[in-house]
Amino acid sequence: MKKRFTYGALLLFFFGATAFVVLRYTNKLQNKANAFYPLKERKGALAQMPEWASVKEKGDKLIRIVREAPTDIRSTLALATIYIQEGRATGDYTYYDEAAMKYIEDVLKTEPENFEALLLKALVQLSQHHFLDGLETAEKAKAINPYNSYVYGLITDGNVEMGNYDAAVKSLDKMVSIRPDLRSYSRISYLREIHGDLPGAIDAMKQAVDAGYPGDEGTEWARIQLAHLYENTGDLKNAEMHYTIALQERPGYAHAVAGLGNIAVANKDYAKAISLYQQADTLQADYTFKEKLAEVYLFNGQKEKAEDLIDATIDKLNEAANSGEASASHHVDKELTYVYLLKNKTDKAVEHALAEYRRRPDNIDVNEAVAWAYFNDDAEKALPYLTKALRTGNKNPTLLCRAGLIYNKAGDKTKAKQFLSKGLENNPNIDPLLMGESKEVFAKL
Amino acid sequence: MLVMNARNQKKAILFLLLLAAARVSFAHTVNYELANAPLHNVVGFYMKLGIQHIIPYGLDHIVFVVGLCLLSTKLKSILWQATAFTVAHSVTLALSMKGVITLPASVVEPIIALSILFIAVENILISELKPWRIAVVFLFGLIHGLGFASVLNEIGLPPNQFLLSILSFNLGVEIGQIIVIALVFGLIILPFGRRPLYRRSFVYPLSALIGVMALWWTIQRL
Repeated sequence: MKKRFTYGALLLFFFGATAFVVLRYTNKLQNKANAFYPLKERKGALAQMPEWASVKEKGDKLIRIVREAPTDIRSTLALATIYIQEGRATGDYTYYDEAAMKYIEDVLKTEPENFEALLLKALVQLSQHHFLDGLETAEKAKAINPYNSYVYGLITDGNVEMGNYDAAVKSLDKMVSIRPDLRSYSRISYLREIHGDLPGAIDAMKQAVDAGYPGDEGTEWARIQLAHLYENTGDLKNAEMHYTIALQERPGYAHAVAGLGNIAVANKDYAKAISLYQQADTLQADYTFKEKLAEVYLFNGQKEKAEDLIDATIDKLNEAANSGEASASHHVDKELTYVYLLKNKTDKAVEHALAEYRRRPDNIDVNEAVAWAYFNDDAEKALPYLTKALRTGNKNPTLLCRAGLIYNKAGDKTKAKQFLSKGLENNPNIDPLLMGESKEVFAKL
Repeated sequence: MLVMNARNQKKAILFLLLLAAARVSFAHTVNYELANAPLHNVVGFYMKLGIQHIIPYGLDHIVFVVGLCLLSTKLKSILWQATAFTVAHSVTLALSMKGVITLPASVVEPIIALSILFIAVENILISELKPWRIAVVFLFGLIHGLGFASVLNEIGLPPNQFLLSILSFNLGVEIGQIIVIALVFGLIILPFGRRPLYRRSFVYPLSALIGVMALWWTIQRL
């Protein structure tokens, strides 16, 4: 009798505690469903940007409207759009993507076939690096409205990220045929670039810049891409000019500031580069600025500072990866691969590279990341991934130099020489550590 | 008060939804890398993953299995519990990967920790294995299966080898469990199980340690 009572009490405790866990979770869900996301105050130069006052005013107004009339679909989607734009402007994707997705899902609950909501959902999924989901959502949107050019842009992006390059070219052709504009030209440029047509890529990106209104985020983003292309061809004058124009047209634009940091690195002015990257990092929370800064610290012999920064970057990326439930988190394994490589933690780098590879085995960038992660410990293992990374004929100098170094370590001196020669041609502006190692190996071949 | 206000109604619906959790739309993550791999690679990959999920990465599962071994010194009883656990977790693992039953990790993980706490306390309070223990272990197996599913979801399953990969993963988990059972049996039960002070020297301290760990995990996972 006593034992039965003990057992009963034990079971009661277990089920009581389980009910507590479940109720706690449902409460959290409830709070999330009732949550609203105020626009975060911008800081520093970002707050001085001319559009901020109107964005803030419009955002606050829409938040009020949506809270009072949750069924107002037009305002709800307008608010979601503001969150997406603000995420892009500030780099705080974790917060703003979650905010946007909440309102998009609210709309899709009442109107599952709402075209605009599906477009925005695909956009957020792509931003969260849930590329297959983004592609599927964009396809669903296309089935509803096959005459919208932007939906083909999203399908192109999804296909590129999943490594379906032929399908990407097809959807991009369709996009351009409907509406040739900044968005389509910039995508043409990227596809030309990864297929090895650098001059063609530069031409298309010039067209993209010309098609946009100077100072708009989209236009200046395209200008930054144009400058990157010039950097890759070793044309630093043009690259610097475009970074400078971008900064003039859009004061405080973090990508332009970081671009000028790249130029300072090329000029071996490391103090200036550090200052510019730091500035970019304070302007926008983008991990690439931290990564670049860490690279310069390493190159400049400031190992401790580099390590601190790398650790902080890993924490930030993991935070993005672990935010919310699995469906809301960001996939950042490719990014973590390169950061762990800076820390010389090749096992962790390989682990993350393979995690991303399992999601996107056909994407050339992912294959490059896996190959590069394997480079230090097992160059032989890197080879099949490298072959896949090179399959589109991409002439990106970083890829070519990495390919040369991997082939050299794997014992294929002919290919090593061939790729390093191509990679170092025109003296492109790439990571100084990679550049140094490539030159050293090439000289010995 | 039989009449619920709107807020409580909403909560109740959410609660019921969560228990039913029939989110068919959320099927398993896809692993494209293994979609074109040879069969033996798929089997090897998921079996290894299953073993690793117990040894060395699944300390909570190791501790749970150790807990299962402590109440009875008879191999037959231990195997009955292990079988109930295996059948149960296989069912929910498959259903979860198919998207029929899904629960978020923030619910499953604390309950897994609570199940370990339960087993530990039971080992201390109850001196012999009763048939209902098998039923309780089966129930816990259902919950642990949902935990296994979250691991598999991180890695994903090849779309054309769903059943094979799940079976291979399960086989790996079983191998891991059998290793733990064999170690406990060989190192503790066989040499000391018949001694008069066995419960005082092994069952109580080990169960207390397991209980403390489980309590800590419960708090940590909440």
